[in-house]
Amino acid sequence: MQSARHHAVYNSRNLNMLIAPSRCPRAAFSLLLLLLCVRATGATDFRAPEQQLAEKIAAVTGPGAVSLQVINRSSLSREESDGFRRGLLTDLSALGVRFVNADQSSATVQVSLSEDLRNYVWIAEIRQSTNESSVVMITTPRPEAPAATQELSALTIRKSLLWTQDSRILDVAEVPGNPQHLIVLDPDNVTLYKFQNSSWQPEQTLAITHLHPWPRDLRGRLQLRKDHLFDAYLPGVYCRSAATSTLTLNCYESDDPWPLGTDQFPLNGFFSHTRNFFTGALAPGVGKQTTAPAFYSAAPLPRDKYALWLIIAVDGQLHMLDGITDQTAGKLGWGSDIASVHSGCGSGWQVLAAGSSDSGADTARAFEIADREAVAVTQPAEFSGNITALWTESDGANVIAVARDLETGKYAAYRLTITCGQ
Amino acid sequence: MFSTPSAMAATRPRYGGTLRVAMRAAPTSLDPAGPQAPDWFGSRNVSLLVFDTLVTVDNSGRPQPALATSWQSEPSNQRWQFSIRRDITFQDGTALTSDAVAASLRAVNPTWKVFSAGDAVIIERDSATVNLPAELALPRNSIVRREGGKISGTGPFTVTQWAPGKKLVLTAREDYWGGRAFVDSIEIEMGKTFRDQMISLGLGKTDVIEVAPEQLHRASAESSRVEHSEPVELMALVFARDRQSADDGRIREALALSLDRASLNNVVLQSGGEPSAALLPNWMTGYAFVFPSNVDLAHARQNLVGVRQTAPWTLGYDATDPSARVVAERIALNAHDAGLALQPTSSAADLRLVRVPLVSLDAHVALAELAKSLGLTPPKYNGNSNSEDDVYAAENGVLQSQRVIPLLHLRSASAVQATVKDWHKARDGSWNLPGIWLGPGMPGTDKP
Repeated sequence: MQSARHHAVYNSRNLNMLIAPSRCPRAAFSLLLLLLCVRATGATDFRAPEQQLAEKIAAVTGPGAVSLQVINRSSLSREESDGFRRGLLTDLSALGVRFVNADQSSATVQVSLSEDLRNYVWIAEIRQSTNESSVVMITTPRPEAPAATQELSALTIRKSLLWTQDSRILDVAEVPGNPQHLIVLDPDNVTLYKFQNSSWQPEQTLAITHLHPWPRDLRGRLQLRKDHLFDAYLPGVYCRSAATSTLTLNCYESDDPWPLGTDQFPLNGFFSHTRNFFTGALAPGVGKQTTAPAFYSAAPLPRDKYALWLIIAVDGQLHMLDGITDQTAGKLGWGSDIASVHSGCGSGWQVLAAGSSDSGADTARAFEIADREAVAVTQPAEFSGNITALWTESDGANVIAVARDLETGKYAAYRLTITCGQ
Repeated sequence: MFSTPSAMAATRPRYGGTLRVAMRAAPTSLDPAGPQAPDWFGSRNVSLLVFDTLVTVDNSGRPQPALATSWQSEPSNQRWQFSIRRDITFQDGTALTSDAVAASLRAVNPTWKVFSAGDAVIIERDSATVNLPAELALPRNSIVRREGGKISGTGPFTVTQWAPGKKLVLTAREDYWGGRAFVDSIEIEMGKTFRDQMISLGLGKTDVIEVAPEQLHRASAESSRVEHSEPVELMALVFARDRQSADDGRIREALALSLDRASLNNVVLQSGGEPSAALLPNWMTGYAFVFPSNVDLAHARQNLVGVRQTAPWTLGYDATDPSARVVAERIALNAHDAGLALQPTSSAADLRLVRVPLVSLDAHVALAELAKSLGLTPPKYNGNSNSEDDVYAAENGVLQSQRVIPLLHLRSASAVQATVKDWHKARDGSWNLPGIWLGPGMPGTDKP
């Protein structure tokens, strides 16, 4: 079996880069730039399978007069099926087939454009006067659904697609520099991508080692560092990058607390290594408060002389910690994930909260807390699926949101920025 | 400024609570290699809770790693090597080893040559088996430790109470390799009729129930959360014997042409399925429409010109299936319209009305298993090809034998309480109970 082995049936995922990184200036959110950032998606090229099908049909009918009908039973658009028909006619003509009305033909060919779980299935049913009907078919892989399109609104939450992949994305971090790098944290690896030739190219994949199984609803966080490239926090595991001749990653079983805040407002929280929430133990604490109810997420909102910390407890309640008191704001209809962002607009800081739309897909919306009352300050930004992560970037200026597409199941990481209203 | 929204929140899954399930199946053994229970879907869903397979098949029919982390085949596709995931234990605490995997697979596949090699398991077959990974995803190939009359699996739950055919109580394993299930435990009441299940759901005594395909519309009206799979169960007529003569073949064809599948589906089964003259459904293969399923009485009668049915055929049906008798009687009426005599009976018969599950999302495996369940000659696949073209040719061969006349593909459906979250039924109707969680309001959800 050694050398004779051929295709490994299961391999690692395909990585798809869909959009250029934010080399496109972060501040310049014009439609033109966004369109330039998005890789153009052309029409699918069906020439090869068209030819294959034409050859199979001609092998049955031979050269001569046939009548041809094309029926679209698949998810192909009318434009695509028309294009297919034109291509097929050309290919058949090249093989000596002529097209006539049914009453003048020696064979009728009904081509059905169908599909199965993964492929387009193109079937030709051929009826000749002397023979029973024949069926020939070809299959060709169906492309993945197109990536989520950029949303450009003149409003305040801006969504920029950073990365998409099949496996769960826990967090991403963009490393400024020349060339720019993107770090993607998933359940198995930290992958480093370099921006080159207008796209992200994989540079290095570093495995995350762990002794215990990951919990369901796995969460993880990347943190860029000054003295080394990054740290990665996962349930019960801490990983630290180290640069020798090449980048390496050292992972340890660890109960060290995860960073919850920003460079300006640091706070750490202990994460339950078998669940999907923070235990409530805080380090160093919010003022005198070193414990809180178990929670899913936390976000600081600076005040004149202190930072008000908002936490979403596992019972869904919003708690506000000011260093002395823990005030409960009740259930505001927010989701489990919140993250703060320093926009410079309004009062300067807002908190982004996940929520749900009527369609079942999630949204993110910005709020300010005035007199301990939450007030929405933006329209919700919609996602094509469920938000699975919402983390503030270290500098506090943006939020990384990860969503799982309801239809494709793919994960996409976005940068959310709040810009001042016009 | 905008007003504070009151939309439903995107909440993270919560751990804790007990999920209460009712089902029609009443298996007397939990061993997935045991005799196939009549209610295959229910038994399969139970098996998924206690046992794992080396490979699973995703919603697109692609094999995915489970207890095997990777696999390779030799060019002939007769010899395969599967690398076994490390640090896995059975529910009884025994470590999962390649020896244990090999023993489990040998027990249910006596014609396979299965042996361990380090951390891997080698499987050798007599002929090329392109779809072996998908075949290993079948519940009967679950990895089971059998010792002293006891069985143990590596699945996400451990058995804490088992009254065969009546009740099963399961507890989540903290150390499950795929992550601890969100709910703490699952209580499954077995052997419940569809009607009893609906009542139990309505009274709030059960969280998850099955719904008969023909009850889909009614259940949707009564319960806000009814979900169904793609059509995953074949309803067909199967002849007890091979075609006896050319005339016999013409009568069988006349019967197939006389069937008003659309009425059967719309009227008798309340649109609980899709009419089909193919064994595999169109959503799986893309070609099922090639087999015409419309009623064609003129053609049927023409087929019978000069041919005499020597005696009325008897049509057997399952007397325990409430809709089967009605379907059988309808078929007899269709046949009568074409000039054929068919006598429904609940005992042994010339042909039987059957319901057979499609046990895999891989078309090759699904067709092979279907043929096996129906007692038909195995489909002939062309060498190493893994295309729809190959499946079509094999299926066409099975249908040409005239041992089976497909009628419909039926959906598998379930209804759940509003407190059951992240309920996503797979295309094949399987339940992902380890992935669901119980929302607020459920007694027993944990308060960390």
